[in-house]
Amino acid sequence: MGLVEKGKVPKPLSYLFNLSRKYSLWVYQWGLACCAIEMAAALGSPRYDVMRLGVIPLPASPRQADMVIVSGTVTDKLAPALKRLYEQMPEPKYVISMGSCANCGGPYWDSYSVTKGVDQIIPVDVYVPGCPPRPEALLEGIVLLQQRIGKEDMAERWRGEPIVVG
Amino acid sequence: MSSADTGTEVTEEAPAVDERRDAIVAAVAARLGDAVVGSHVEPGVDVWVRVTRDGWAEAAQAVHDLGFTFFDFLSAIDWYPNIHGKNEEPPTNPITVPATSAELEHGVTGGETRFQLIARVFSPEQKLGVHLRCDLPDDDLSAPTWSRIYPGADWNEREVCEMFGIDFPGHPNLVHLYLPGGFEGHPLRKDFPLLARHVKPWPGLVDVEAMPGEPDDDAEAEGSEAE
Amino acid sequence: MTVTEHERAFITSTLSESRINLEIESDGMTLNLGPQHPATHGTLRIIVKLDGEQIVACEPTMGYMHRGYEKLCEFRTFPQVTTLVNRIDWLSHFANEVPFILAAEQLMGVEAPPRAQYIRTVFFEMARLGNITLFLGEMGLQLGAMTALFYAFRDREHVLNLLEAVTGGRFHPNFDRIGGLKDDLPKGWIDETKAVMKKIRGFCDQMETLVMGNEIFQTRTRGIGVIPKDVALGYGLSGANARASGVDLDLRRDNPDIAMAWKHADFKVWTHPDGDSFARYWVRLQEVRESTHIIEQLLDGIPAGPIMAKVPRIIKVPAGEAYVQTENPLGWMGYYVVSKGDLGPFRVKIRTASFNNVSVLPWVAKGLYVPDIVTVLASLYFILGDIDR
Repeated sequence: MGLVEKGKVPKPLSYLFNLSRKYSLWVYQWGLACCAIEMAAALGSPRYDVMRLGVIPLPASPRQADMVIVSGTVTDKLAPALKRLYEQMPEPKYVISMGSCANCGGPYWDSYSVTKGVDQIIPVDVYVPGCPPRPEALLEGIVLLQQRIGKEDMAERWRGEPIVVG
Repeated sequence: MSSADTGTEVTEEAPAVDERRDAIVAAVAARLGDAVVGSHVEPGVDVWVRVTRDGWAEAAQAVHDLGFTFFDFLSAIDWYPNIHGKNEEPPTNPITVPATSAELEHGVTGGETRFQLIARVFSPEQKLGVHLRCDLPDDDLSAPTWSRIYPGADWNEREVCEMFGIDFPGHPNLVHLYLPGGFEGHPLRKDFPLLARHVKPWPGLVDVEAMPGEPDDDAEAEGSEAE
Repeated sequence: MTVTEHERAFITSTLSESRINLEIESDGMTLNLGPQHPATHGTLRIIVKLDGEQIVACEPTMGYMHRGYEKLCEFRTFPQVTTLVNRIDWLSHFANEVPFILAAEQLMGVEAPPRAQYIRTVFFEMARLGNITLFLGEMGLQLGAMTALFYAFRDREHVLNLLEAVTGGRFHPNFDRIGGLKDDLPKGWIDETKAVMKKIRGFCDQMETLVMGNEIFQTRTRGIGVIPKDVALGYGLSGANARASGVDLDLRRDNPDIAMAWKHADFKVWTHPDGDSFARYWVRLQEVRESTHIIEQLLDGIPAGPIMAKVPRIIKVPAGEAYVQTENPLGWMGYYVVSKGDLGPFRVKIRTASFNNVSVLPWVAKGLYVPDIVTVLASLYFILGDIDR
């Protein structure tokens, strides 16, 4: 349409786009450690079913994903792979950092081989604290992200301006 | 054998002499002769045998023939004292390593050098395990490989090599197991510092500000040089 | 007939005009599985060299989850180590702390009171339930049966509910203390546990017909990845992997001196002579059933009394060395604790089950086809944190 590139998206259209985007997120799960089990419980188990929020857990590859949930400890050996994976995802993309290991290094804050927080490598939108966070906490993180997407301005994002938390 | 009824300090009612474990030490000593330089039996609990470095591979063969066919683990201990802070203490600065290993305290079965290898094997028939140890001379950190006798020692020796810097001549593939390619240093040695602790000895201690109205003493709780 | 490179090149150059195809032998292909792959349970990278579809050599690359546990333990006090160590084998949360706490108690000369021992054993077995039920569903997933995974998650939630009712945490409860436990059981918990045990047995029956009785599953697992008994012993395979190869070793039965309550329960140790992937699945299924019986027996006979021995507030473990091993869900886990009378340990060597279990992979994978390596990996059942520590 060209509206986004020109920078003028009318409000009702922006609302509609955001609504449809936030309720159809495809999640690429980068499940590394203990948080991966809680993430799997949130995404796959019938009790904390995440599909009712519109989040679909199993895209075939990162190139078809909207969102990545980094759950678990990121080590220095794994960090380049994570960066490469993030670059493979198409815009607009979102990152949820789940668990304290991904937030800030967690219980391994003094280790010689752990990256102290995944936000040293990729930009993070929502941090979900806990060790491990309950599946309900992860669902709350996803809901927060959806609220943020609902208030987003696509034109600003296209121009690459920094995202302001509102 | 040793379960008591009340839960306070319990003295183990173990027999004073543990015949099965003493028999193991005797059998190993009979096969290896001078290579056995020390042993320790904790009655009812466990048994340790210390051998010389040159007899390390023969010791493996000896215990294997005695029925200890299950391989448990192989690792090393660095007997230098912990010179870094624990808990909330800041680390000692500068990082120095004692010049000689003369004054080190070793554990059971004694020892003279800084590095000791320790391995454990188990016998499925007797349901007993035995620990084997050997001293490594400081100027020549290497030991014969166990991987021909116990295939499970393969990965353990790789890990010991990268964590302590101990060489195993005869090992088929002594490359890094855990650490990424360009890693420098041997992490499990006692003089390898954890740099995050030098910046912030304990996350809760830094950024401690005085209450409003109180004098601000030692506001900078930041550790020493950030490295 | 053997042909040299030079001769081959000459032949092909002349034959190309006469329109005869000569199959040029090329080097095998190298395939990289992982580190992010649905089949690898985490960040394990396997480099396989293929000859067609058959595997010629296989080399796992680890270290993507290496967090430096042994170094970190030297910098922490004993109670802090127990919270850290919980996360090595993250599916059997409680069971990781137990050998370490037993080693510290052995050095201190303290034994937990009998009620605490019973409850510890019950939680240990519940950690086993939580872990192995996930395996039963997940091996189905690896082989293509997704339904089994959903059933496993649904029934596992019951066990996690029970754990949460006592400890407050579904995962990593941090409930064990040196000298006993933190709290006692709430009222009504024992009856609820017995009801849940019946549900778990129902789940086992479901898995038996759904997964084990499935023809495709049987074709894919019978005879695949056979590990004979002496190889299993030489590599140090333990737990269900060893028992599926005919090795009759179970530390719950063979180590009667340990300060836990297994000696008060009557249970059978299941072995299987085959040593293939089907045997490993079968043994674990029977073990889950057996665990439910153990829990019921222990809860019937649980004694009254205190749950914490008298230990000082600041725990200083006297100098010495101790090694305690237990039969964890994945295999044998042991801690070699060297203490110098300090607030924290001097050196901790963590012997984990999956490290030895996966070291057999290069041996087993020779001659297998590529889909079979997924079967073998799934049946060996490792957790990455257990391998990489």
